[in-house]
Amino acid sequence: MRGHLPAADHGVMDPEPALYTIRINGHLGVTLLSAFPAMAARPDGAHTVLTGPLDRSALYGVLAEIEALGLDLLEVRQLTGEG
Amino acid sequence: MAHTTARLIDRGDLLGALDRAAARTVTIISAPAGSGKTSLLRAWADAQGERRRLAVLLVQRDQQDAQQFWLALLNAVRDASAATGRAAPPAATPEFNPPAMVDRVLAELADASPGITLVIDDLHELNSPQALALLTRLLTNLPPGAHAMLTTRHDLRLGLHQLRLAGELAEIRAADLRFTERETRLLLDVSGIALSESGAALLHQRTEGWAAGLRLAAISLAGHPDPERFVAEFSGSDRTVAEYLIAEMLERQPADVQDLLLRTSLLDRVSAELADLLTGRSDSERMLLALADANAFVLPLDPERTWFRYHHLFGDLLRLELRRTLPTEVPALHRRAAGWFIRQGRAVDAIRHTQAAGDWPDAARLLADHSFSLTLDGQAQTMQALERAFPPGEDHPELALVRAGGELVHGHLDEAAAHLSVAETYAATAPPDRQRRLQVAIASLRLSLARRRGHLAGVLEQVRFLDSPLTGQSDEDIALGSDLRAVALMNLGAVEAWTLALPDAERHLRQGAALAREIGRPYLEVGCLSELGFASKIEPFATTQLRCLEAVALAERHGWGAEPVISPALSTMAGTQVWLGEFDQAERWLQRTAQALQTDRGPIMRLVLHHTTAILRACRGRLPEALEEFSAAEQLRSQLEGPHALASQVTGWRLATLARLGRTGEARAALAALSAFDDERAGSGEILNAHAVICLADGDPAGALGAVQPVVDGTAPVIGYVTVMEAHLLAGHAHRELGDQRAANQAVERALTLGEADRLVLPFAMTFSRELLEGLPPHETAHGALLAGILDALQGSSRAPGDQRPSPDAEELSPGELRVLRYLPTNLSRPEIAGELSVSVNTVSTHVRSIYAKLQVTDRSSAVQRARELRLLAAGRAR
Repeated sequence: MRGHLPAADHGVMDPEPALYTIRINGHLGVTLLSAFPAMAARPDGAHTVLTGPLDRSALYGVLAEIEALGLDLLEVRQLTGEG
Repeated sequence: MAHTTARLIDRGDLLGALDRAAARTVTIISAPAGSGKTSLLRAWADAQGERRRLAVLLVQRDQQDAQQFWLALLNAVRDASAATGRAAPPAATPEFNPPAMVDRVLAELADASPGITLVIDDLHELNSPQALALLTRLLTNLPPGAHAMLTTRHDLRLGLHQLRLAGELAEIRAADLRFTERETRLLLDVSGIALSESGAALLHQRTEGWAAGLRLAAISLAGHPDPERFVAEFSGSDRTVAEYLIAEMLERQPADVQDLLLRTSLLDRVSAELADLLTGRSDSERMLLALADANAFVLPLDPERTWFRYHHLFGDLLRLELRRTLPTEVPALHRRAAGWFIRQGRAVDAIRHTQAAGDWPDAARLLADHSFSLTLDGQAQTMQALERAFPPGEDHPELALVRAGGELVHGHLDEAAAHLSVAETYAATAPPDRQRRLQVAIASLRLSLARRRGHLAGVLEQVRFLDSPLTGQSDEDIALGSDLRAVALMNLGAVEAWTLALPDAERHLRQGAALAREIGRPYLEVGCLSELGFASKIEPFATTQLRCLEAVALAERHGWGAEPVISPALSTMAGTQVWLGEFDQAERWLQRTAQALQTDRGPIMRLVLHHTTAILRACRGRLPEALEEFSAAEQLRSQLEGPHALASQVTGWRLATLARLGRTGEARAALAALSAFDDERAGSGEILNAHAVICLADGDPAGALGAVQPVVDGTAPVIGYVTVMEAHLLAGHAHRELGDQRAANQAVERALTLGEADRLVLPFAMTFSRELLEGLPPHETAHGALLAGILDALQGSSRAPGDQRPSPDAEELSPGELRVLRYLPTNLSRPEIAGELSVSVNTVSTHVRSIYAKLQVTDRSSAVQRARELRLLAAGRAR
């Protein structure tokens, strides 16, 4: 798994949802996509990029789902406000 | 482990690696879903044969209940060690005692030879930090010969650094589990798939050696007309491996199999009957067996192959597909499943499916109805997990009942009462068909609450309500009603015992025990018998001990020998031993009681523990410690409501101990406060005796005689005849101080007469009557043997072999005390010593008492011996 996680927040739990992109190896078909209803998906080369607003709790929920489905997680990135 | 399918290849190298790893104490296989962990584990287990005994546990999906996990583990260990003809299989208890549970598992592992290997599969599903912490403790304390093998999808916070440093931890990770190209070709061969070398290489590359991918591909490739093309297309697709191949596999199945797989995917476990129910067919059994034979994704859970589960990954994808293709049917499927589980009496599964169907009000009602029996079944944590699953917008008022039960289990009495009030408010306005059930449930929780607080009035209220017959009830209602009735009888009997309504206590506890046995609730039976032991105070001690031992034996048969439920019987055994002068045995029973109470925060048993400890310390002459314990007991009283059995004893003896430590001023003040505040209690025999002790300590024997007069002539209310015995002995002391040896002897004789039946030692020990007894000439007593026996016991108490602790604070004797001490080795009497020192007899008496307290002895010769040990009598010291 060649991803990196967002920088530690120095102990402050962020209650507000932030925009995240999550890059997964392979294209996700309709079935797998239905596991991530809160996120928009687009293919990017051989990968799939999921984008959506997630608070901390939801973020770890998505990561757990990715683990449960045996998907290959490549990158998790928090977008900081710039488009 | 259940039967393994034949299509697994022999991954000899990997098995060898696992074997080498398994030589260490703990092996962890940590790799993502579908890496082949479980298959490897099964292959390894099959290869072990006789060499190792395996205790296998598959962790349930989202297991949040620490007790359920640990019970399952304990059962697995017992199965592996083939524990036959021993204690009954461990049953759950409402109160979970984590350290005791770990100890039990360790004990079973230690006893087993050859050693047992724990195999725990899917450990990442254990969502209970408590259970995980306990597991760390287990793994770092495994006895020699015991091993553990764990599989998990992600690394766990297990704290096994010590093991790692010691080289006793082996790890197998995803990279190790990947199929090599050679193994890929082997898999294809074994599955009868004809693929070219380049085709096999392509397949290996595309799946990256991922076990699940390869197996899925093999399913589709077997019998495929053009395997090369399949692999080429597969390689050319960008779809994720799992989704592509599962879709392919599903497509290949006949329609009825597809239907079966999809509809049953929402179950944790599948049986033919359930499958028929969800598909509306009758041939699910055939299909399930065929699937189990064909691949490693449908796994049988038992040797008879009646229950199956789907490989998690497979099931998850099927579930997603079901939601996507048949969305409107999903709630109905869940409801059908819930109905089946209700008919099977499996409340937890039923509630889960009802929640999944989105029927929150129904789920709330189900949970509330079953919260009581879930608690009794030791599934309190499961119950709380179910309660947490309700979304904020679906908070049903009946859930207050569930919350009250949860708080009660943890001993949070105030919080429980608050939730109960909420539930009561709702119950008053609930629809009529719910009202009765709710009220019964509320009443039983109030009963438990009242019992924990020792509040008899509260208990009686609730029991009257529960006693009214449950008419026209369903089977379920009757079962629920029996549970409630048994618990009600137990709680009622317990409170009656506590407030000394003893004949009622005995009747109710016996009824409760009989009912509990009838309905198969061993925990309640043990509870009732334990309280019965506690309630047997007015019986002859032999009867009391018999009852306590019966309760303890039953508890031990079920593995509850160290649980809070048996503490009443344990403490009563300790108490009877103290009364009989068997101080060492009493010590042991007290230790067991303390251990059993580790997880119970209820004030009543703690009070009893302090009380019994206090009198044991006092009998051994350790007065400062005794005082601490009496004071602790008295402080706990504030947490209770209403009067209780031990009240006057605790107060009386506490005051007496104060006086004996020379703090008569404090004692008198407390006595005065008591008389002002609680006239009735101030007139009890126990308090009058304390008054006498204070008088004696102050050198006022006449006052002492006056104080005990009502006790001696039977006009003062007493807890039992032992108080009267004490009174006689105190009178004896007083007579002796007044120089009337004959009256003293008569008083002692009266005490001996009272004590002959039970052969009690305690009153003699508590009043420090050794010298009194020695002063009684053998020919003047009709109880020579008893006298000798008591003296023996008292002798033993001051030089108890188990009591060899060096005195932590051998307090300095004052100069006055040292002067008196020097005369103790002589045979001078106190008046004579007083003469030598030109002080009053009272002063000598006070000094002597203080010397005894500081040296922690109870008689003159022991004081001399101790003083010699401490070299207090060395020449030149006593100025």
